[in-house]
Amino acid sequence: MIRKLFLSLLLLVLYGCSNDSFPLIQDEAEGSVTKFSNDTHGTYGSTYVPLSSENTVIRNATVFDGLGNMYENYDIHFSDGKIKALGMNLQVDAKEIDGTGKYVSPGIIDIHSHMGVYPAPGVRTSSDGNEATSPVTAEVWAEHSVWSQDPQYKLALAGGITSFHVLPGSANLFGGRGVTLKNVSANTVTAMKFPDAPHTLKMACGENPKRVYSSRGPSTRMGNVAGYRDAWIGAEKYKKSLERNPSSRNLRNETLVGVLDGEILIQNHCYRADEMATMINISKEFDYKITTFHHAVEAYKIADLLADEGVCAAMWADWWGFKHEAYDMTIANVAIVDQARDGAGCAIVHSDSASGIQRLNQEAAKALAAGNKAGFNISEARAMTWITQNPAKAAGILDQTGTLEAGKNADIVIWDGNPFSVYTKAEQVFIDGALAFDKATQFMPHTDFDLGVKEWEVE
Amino acid sequence: MKYFYLILILSFSYLSLADAENSVLVKGGNVFLPDQGFVKKDFLIEEGKIVSIEDQIDDGVTGKTIYADGKYITPGLVVFSSLGLLEIGALSETNDNSSDIYNAGFDPSKAYNPFSQAVSLNRSKGVTSTVHIPGASGYFSGLLGHTKINNGWKQKKQGPLAVLTSYGQSRGDSRAAELQFMSDLFDFVRNRSEDKANYETDNIQFFFGTQNDYQFTNRDLVAIRKLLSNKLPLVVRVNKATDILNVIKFADTEGIELILWEANEAHMVADEIAKAGVPVVLDPLNNIPGSFDSLNATYENVARLNAAGVKMAFYYNQGAGSHNAYLATQSAGNAVAMGVPYNEALNAITKNPADIFGLVDVGQVSVGFEGDIAIWDADPLELTSFVEKVLIDGVEQDLSNRYEELTDRYTKEKDLPNSYRSRE
Repeated sequence: MIRKLFLSLLLLVLYGCSNDSFPLIQDEAEGSVTKFSNDTHGTYGSTYVPLSSENTVIRNATVFDGLGNMYENYDIHFSDGKIKALGMNLQVDAKEIDGTGKYVSPGIIDIHSHMGVYPAPGVRTSSDGNEATSPVTAEVWAEHSVWSQDPQYKLALAGGITSFHVLPGSANLFGGRGVTLKNVSANTVTAMKFPDAPHTLKMACGENPKRVYSSRGPSTRMGNVAGYRDAWIGAEKYKKSLERNPSSRNLRNETLVGVLDGEILIQNHCYRADEMATMINISKEFDYKITTFHHAVEAYKIADLLADEGVCAAMWADWWGFKHEAYDMTIANVAIVDQARDGAGCAIVHSDSASGIQRLNQEAAKALAAGNKAGFNISEARAMTWITQNPAKAAGILDQTGTLEAGKNADIVIWDGNPFSVYTKAEQVFIDGALAFDKATQFMPHTDFDLGVKEWEVE
Repeated sequence: MKYFYLILILSFSYLSLADAENSVLVKGGNVFLPDQGFVKKDFLIEEGKIVSIEDQIDDGVTGKTIYADGKYITPGLVVFSSLGLLEIGALSETNDNSSDIYNAGFDPSKAYNPFSQAVSLNRSKGVTSTVHIPGASGYFSGLLGHTKINNGWKQKKQGPLAVLTSYGQSRGDSRAAELQFMSDLFDFVRNRSEDKANYETDNIQFFFGTQNDYQFTNRDLVAIRKLLSNKLPLVVRVNKATDILNVIKFADTEGIELILWEANEAHMVADEIAKAGVPVVLDPLNNIPGSFDSLNATYENVARLNAAGVKMAFYYNQGAGSHNAYLATQSAGNAVAMGVPYNEALNAITKNPADIFGLVDVGQVSVGFEGDIAIWDADPLELTSFVEKVLIDGVEQDLSNRYEELTDRYTKEKDLPNSYRSRE
């Protein structure tokens, strides 16, 4: 036992802080919506209520709009939780925030988080991200594991995160449904749920499922693929059976049929280029759409294919080497995906880490710099889309957030400098127009778990 | 720490004569001097060592000149890592930084692979040497050692530098028992004869609790004896503030030299750490209450330790961890954003690792120090800056690496499938 402890200690040393320790296990998750369980307004639907907000205008800032543009000396006006206008010298009567010398961006969105399902402290009693009991667990929903008191949310908020997508882990071929949350303090998960966000389904390629189930199968990549196809065949049968017996319930197949019906978005953990291509073939065999490949360390090898198929790739800037399928790293990965087919690619910088989620802007900066060093000419404004517009698109919430456009949710970050600098901090974060974080006053939510944690004077 | 200079073993000193005879003049750059920060200076390296640093040194006398106008020049990064000991994390067959046979006496630096892909990547990012972090499975994790990561078969090494262990919830038993056990173990070693013959057949088993036991070979007992005679310090990975105080007290009682590692709650007892003169090696980015030992983890850790006058060295322990050890620059940059003065932050990834572990003549651009140099296109702590040249012992390094080759292969125009294209 002691040796195991030491091994885990070693892994912690190698792979990061004790709570986002081991990407082999933690990465990945999913979710969905079906005719039987399309609950975005139903039993499990969002009960989110925004904090109260003020009619506000930020003046004279450098604005990244999340659409690939940057404007200097710009104003942004928001009220009733919505963005009203962007422009120079807006003629509005509202509470003024001086944005001189500051930068403004859309709220940052992470398409790959396990906050809530792998909360801090990282103890086994709340390690709820992987239902590693069967290779196919499309029936489980990450939201039913989410701990609303996870003290990590506010740390991400201080990094500008306004929404994040929580996925089950990657132990299974089908890990279960994912859920998109607002980064707000609440006592229930439904009160954090992003209204009208589609469910998603986590699938996983490669090493993890075949390792976890090596004794019972699948134990190979070809076994993985047979497992996906078997499950889709079962879903097709189930869908057909509904014509005869519309009231028959089957949780697993309800999720899978939700994908086949286009209601549930596929979020697919997949590192290797050849496996991603195979997954695209499977999606064609069963006529569903893959929204995003996650981790996608080798996405650059098939960047044109991803652009042609309209599949996003969510990537780290520079993680590699912790497993064989993460060996062929290039820090230009994000940029190559972004620039495929003359800029038709959908590149996302994701975290899969409660540490990394706090600095997605820094991760995007590294990816941007490496891309331009590799010969591209990518602007900071374009790189901003990797952590705003594109993850919003991948989560199916781009109609509500992800860019600064009139009519969208006022999810806004004011940075004290250029967000692509290591020295820059988020100064204020607004969610639906309501101030959610203020660095100067240390205004931020504290979960119940945070209470009682004090710094005692040493006597 | 001065004692270590006496016992450092320079086990390999293989600088080839051809390289060592060369002199390199680096001209016109902004040079990071440990006490002053960036200053415009020229400096001359001869036989691998920095021999002069002046406002102006005329070129053309001998050897090679690197013109570095507008560039930023720092000591090469000294990182804490498993570089060269670990190729792929999940493949144990590629992992040489842990041992089931030895613990305190385990020296992983013997397994260093200079041709690891992780080594070449980190070298291209400004790392010139690593302190190996051992991960043995016994009561102690093993010995820390220092290796230059220059190209080629032969590397200069210094060490062993220290013995690593951990304390707190990461261990299996009660905190109380763990310290008692270490104390008993130390007494046992003290009371044994130093006569090596007595050790040679030893394979001591310490029983601990009812089910756990630790084995110590002769080699381990020798390393423990070095702790007790102050020839090596003890590095303790510990996070909880109360544990930190107990470890400081323990080290004082036992008369051993202490270095704290990780230390997420160190800020709570910063004054006590400063008073004890104990250095701390940590990642400024560790701010998550990731365990019940780290409930008070905060970004403010490093700024408070700095304000209290604690000597710190930084490592990067997020994401891919050791494989990206060069991202100590990102940790240091964030430390600046958290309130650590810039020069302190840059020293914490160059000079301070050397100071804390008693490394001889590495970690600074100062006369008499080895010519381990990184030349950057801009602020080395900024995310968008790049290394342009690296010197190790005055020898300019080949910075090519597999990851640039992959990038080139998939970004350059091609008339043949990738796999048929030149590797150049």
